[in-house]
Amino acid sequence: MFRTALLRSMRSAACQTVRRSAPIARPVGAGSFVTRSQFVPSPFQAARCYSAAAGLQKDEVEGRIIDLLKNFDKVADPSKLSPASNFANDLGLDSLDTVEVVMAIEEEFSIEIPDKEADAIHSVDKAVEYILAQPDAH
Amino acid sequence: MRYSGLQRDVLALYRKCLRESRKKPASTRAHFEAFARKEFQKHLHFDKKDFSAIEYLLRKGQRQLEMYSSPGIKDIH
Repeated sequence: MFRTALLRSMRSAACQTVRRSAPIARPVGAGSFVTRSQFVPSPFQAARCYSAAAGLQKDEVEGRIIDLLKNFDKVADPSKLSPASNFANDLGLDSLDTVEVVMAIEEEFSIEIPDKEADAIHSVDKAVEYILAQPDAH
Repeated sequence: MRYSGLQRDVLALYRKCLRESRKKPASTRAHFEAFARKEFQKHLHFDKKDFSAIEYLLRKGQRQLEMYSSPGIKDIH
C-alpha cells in the first residue's frame, strides 16, 4: 500500500521533471523513469563536455621542424631552410642523415613513424604533412 | 628518390640502431649514436650492386646490434 503510494508520487515527480527539462532530456517512458527520478536531473546533466584535442597548426609544426633542422649540425646551409626544402637536394643530407632527422622528428612530436612511412619523408613539407595527419602527435 | 630493397634494409638497420641507443642512459646515448654512425660510414664506399658484401655487413650489423642492445652495456668508446 505504502509502496504503491510512494511509486505514484515518484512517478508524478518524474513526469514534472521531464516536462521541465524537456528541451534537453530525452523523453523516457514514465515506467522506466521510476528508479532514475531519485537523482534529481538538472537540465545540464545530459550534456557531457569532453575537451577536444588541441590539434597542431600547420605553422607550428613547420616552425618546430625547421628549428630542429637548424640545430642539426649536418645541415650544410641553414639559410636554405624553408618549408619546401628537400633534405637531400637542398640541405645536402645523405640517406643516413635523413634517417636521423626523421628519428628526431619522431622524438619531437612523441610519435613513432613506421619504417615504410619514414622512408617516404624526404622533405620538410612531407614531414609536416605526415605530422598533421597523426592524431596523437603533439 | 626511390631506394632498392637492400638499401631500405640498411636504412632500417640504422633506424633500429638509433632506436636502441634511445634505451641507453642519457649521458652515453650520444656515444652509441656516434658509434653506429661510424660503423655505417666505414662502408659508405661500397657499390650498391655489391649485394653479397652488403648482405654480409647487414648480418654482421644485426649481430652487433643484438650484442650492444644488451642492457648491461652502458657506454661505448
